Amino acid sequence: MDRNKTHILETARSRGLATPSAGLDAPEGYFDSFTSRLMASLPDRPELEHPDDVEAQAGPRTFWQTVRPYVYMAAMFAGVWLMLQLFTMLTGTGRLQPMDSNPVLAEALDNDAFVDQYVYGSLDSWDIVDEMMEDGSLDSGFEFVFDDVPEDVVLPQ
Amino acid sequence: MKDTKDRTDDLTARLRDPATVRAAFAEMVEEYSRPLYWQIRRMVLNADDTDDLLQNTFMKAWNSLENFRGEAKLSTWLHKIAINEAISFLEKEKRRGAMSLDDPDGTVASTVAAAPDIDGDSLGAHLRQAVASLPEKQRLVFNMKYFDDMKYEDISDILGTTVGALKASYHLAVKKIEKYMERFDHGD
Repeated sequence: MDRNKTHILETARSRGLATPSAGLDAPEGYFDSFTSRLMASLPDRPELEHPDDVEAQAGPRTFWQTVRPYVYMAAMFAGVWLMLQLFTMLTGTGRLQPMDSNPVLAEALDNDAFVDQYVYGSLDSWDIVDEMMEDGSLDSGFEFVFDDVPEDVVLPQ
Repeated sequence: MKDTKDRTDDLTARLRDPATVRAAFAEMVEEYSRPLYWQIRRMVLNADDTDDLLQNTFMKAWNSLENFRGEAKLSTWLHKIAINEAISFLEKEKRRGAMSLDDPDGTVASTVAAAPDIDGDSLGAHLRQAVASLPEKQRLVFNMKYFDDMKYEDISDILGTTVGALKASYHLAVKKIEKYMERFDHGD
């Protein structure tokens, strides 16, 4: 049985069964008449067989047909530009300006009263010390900065 | 081999020429109707259904001839159309409950055995039953490799599967067929 199993496909091949028909039969004379039968039922395709006639029948292209793809493309770009403008306007990002060319900010920083009240007033001396220690500018001015520190506060060495 | 390629290239060129397209198409039908007939027939089994599907295949080829750009081989393009037609037909049949694509109950195998125009070789009948009992993909691969003796590369182009996967499918199909055939003694 093993032998039968192992060689069964080879046996079928040797008996001529490994062919495209696989041992099946086509109706008699089928292939003799198939092509003519099919070609007789094939529909006309003038765009394939007579493309010049089809083009001539269609007539010359109008101005609109010629420019239409370019108009559509321009409209698409205009749409994208408008959407970007709308987005910028809604988010307000378009009004942002660099600090050195911002007239409102420059005027505010020129005003001593504003700086005293809103800038210095919001600063803590410990924040300044931290900043100075970080950027290394604290070495020489250390004593000076902490002149007003109460005596019971232990300063970092 | 070169002659075949030159002939196919020439046929493809004439299919693109409006003056020769119809004659070239007739030539193409003449050349490919046999292999496509057997391709479809082994899938759907019934001769009348095969005739309808073969006609549909060539009709589709004719109606979409401008889509054939010549990048693939003509035979590959036609085989793809034929296989898609046969698979669509089998799926419709499956929905109608006539038979299962993957045929777990051996319905296709029974149909094969009952087909009126099958020869009397019991080995052939059993082999067809064994093939019919395979899952659809394995059946396709086995058919193209064993019966059509096609190269894996060509099958890969038609089915859009890697050569490695095809070899695995074929190997599995052979094992299943051998197992199926164990129950019969063909006097090897």
